[in-house]
Amino acid sequence: MVTPVTTQGTQLSAEQVGYLTAGPGRAAETALARLIDAGLVRVSRDGLVSAVHQNNHGATTAIEARILSYARTPVRFDTIVRSAAHSTEMSMLHQHLLDRKLLQRPRRRNEGWWFSLVIAVVLVLLGFVALEFLLGVPIAVLFFLWQRGRKAITGAGREALLRVTATDRVHAVAVYGFCGRVNRRPVADLFELSQSIVRMLPLKQNRKRRSSSDGGGSGSSCSSCGSGCGSSSCSSSSGSSCSSSSSSSCGGSSCGGGGGGGGD
Amino acid sequence: MAGIADLGVGIGWRSEIDLTVERLPGVDFVEVVAENLHIGHLPESVTLLLERGVPVLPHAVSLSLGGADPVDLGRVEHLGKVAEAVGAPMVSDHVCFVRAGGLDSGHLMPVPRTRDALDVLVANVELAQRNLPVPLALENVAALLEWPDGELSEGQFLAELVERTDCWLLVDVANLYANARNIGTDPERFLDEIPLERLAYVHVAGGVDHGDVYHDTHAHAVLPEVLGVLDELCSRVKPPGVLLERDDNYPSDTEIASELAAIRAVVDKHRG
Amino acid sequence: MAEIIDRNDPSAARERLAAAQAELLNALLANGPAPAGFDEQRLDVERRALLSKRRGIVRMLGPAVADELGDRFRPLFDAYALENPRRAGSRARADAAAFAEWCRAAGELSAKRKARWKFWQSN
Repeated sequence: MVTPVTTQGTQLSAEQVGYLTAGPGRAAETALARLIDAGLVRVSRDGLVSAVHQNNHGATTAIEARILSYARTPVRFDTIVRSAAHSTEMSMLHQHLLDRKLLQRPRRRNEGWWFSLVIAVVLVLLGFVALEFLLGVPIAVLFFLWQRGRKAITGAGREALLRVTATDRVHAVAVYGFCGRVNRRPVADLFELSQSIVRMLPLKQNRKRRSSSDGGGSGSSCSSCGSGCGSSSCSSSSGSSCSSSSSSSCGGSSCGGGGGGGGD
Repeated sequence: MAGIADLGVGIGWRSEIDLTVERLPGVDFVEVVAENLHIGHLPESVTLLLERGVPVLPHAVSLSLGGADPVDLGRVEHLGKVAEAVGAPMVSDHVCFVRAGGLDSGHLMPVPRTRDALDVLVANVELAQRNLPVPLALENVAALLEWPDGELSEGQFLAELVERTDCWLLVDVANLYANARNIGTDPERFLDEIPLERLAYVHVAGGVDHGDVYHDTHAHAVLPEVLGVLDELCSRVKPPGVLLERDDNYPSDTEIASELAAIRAVVDKHRG
Repeated sequence: MAEIIDRNDPSAARERLAAAQAELLNALLANGPAPAGFDEQRLDVERRALLSKRRGIVRMLGPAVADELGDRFRPLFDAYALENPRRAGSRARADAAAFAEWCRAAGELSAKRKARWKFWQSN
């Protein structure tokens, strides 16, 4: 089952890039972008997404098929992205990325993470007085590393993302989101979507990229909207846990919980 | 009353396909469902079309002018205000009822073709006309069932309605086809009986054949047979306008454009 | 001339029409008896057409509810519609909300969905 990942040859689909970059919300945006790009859905001025009626469905991924079936009756732009982010199809994509070791189950950062570091430093200082204190240093450092938490994206995932550039408008959504900018141009413009539509999506930061490609400007170029719902759960280390397996428990719109968890 | 200006070929504006309607080539006029618009808060797309000089005609679905209940003047007033907001030369609704006995059918129901029903309809239409700022056109509906004891044919019924109220007619050729299929009305006889000089414009729509019944869904492609009825109409009179109605399962822009082109081809065949 | 109140009096015509139309809608929407002179089969076709149109509108206005109900949506809606014919003057959105409420009361819909439903309705 598990595809062995050679860091060199990892091929990522646009949806996978979206997921690795900013979680399930971004992957959902990417799938929607592909459908708009292919003329399989249309978006109205006030942000109603509806499937273009035709006999063959034209979806190339399970998530696209899910979005198309949602859009058989007109649905709001943000609602459809949110629903897709919560779908079982999205959980399957998450599982796939786990299997490929591009993602891992993140560990929540303990609120007192800095405390073990302080202890380590104190122990080192005390080491000047009596060497025995130094014995405690590795333990404190281990504690520190554990408590600091672990990001959802693995080294391999980050490596794979480094080679991704936004070569077309679908990848531009995967990398920057509908609310992001590419070459100073709003990504939404590439799809002739107004800002009032894409601003329906909640703002969301990208995971920090190990940025050689982004240059210094990662702050602005990475901020984009990532459609909330679960995406935060797998974003870097900043607190919100990816408590897995409870995807349906995210209530309401802000949806802190484990959309990325892929439980069902 | 003066004749209707040449409207050309149009499409029903719907919010889901607003950008498509704006982009489509050869849209000479559009129709909006009056009940879906708020006065003072027109959709951006409608405003844009108006700025381009595209006529926007309000079409109502809820006046229930064929109903025995008293006319809801609030609805008439709303229709009139929409007409003023978009600068429309006329408005329309249907020869039908939607409310009776405290219930709402949610769809356009045919009225019995009796003298009683005609008298009530005439009184209702006159009241509506007195409360509207522009002329009113009335449309024939698609019926799935036939009232018993009809005293007039559908064409006679509408002809007398026009004679007594001086209203305009909006002829839906898909509904004529549906009635031919479902209750055995003869479209040619209908066209013979109605006063064609009072034709405001024509509706064309798609539907689906379920074997024993034809459903006028506005969610499927226009059947060649429906274009056949349009052809028949155009052989008798040059319609001031022809409008495609699509309300659901919207196909691609290309497909909608080709339906409009097919309509235009029928209309143009009889010109020149 | 009180004696010709019969056929030519417009208010009498209106009353006769009102009774006939009410009887038809009652048969089509509220499972009332079939009015005389109508083809029973056609009444059935019309009944199904009206139900299907109403169901489609409620599905469109409350996709989350339809989604959660899945295959149960159709039978549940049809049962609801028969019990609750749409009243004159009611709005489609109210109909969709009432259906969700009806499902919740019947234990067919989790209460949790309410937040989402409200979110949808507010637009």
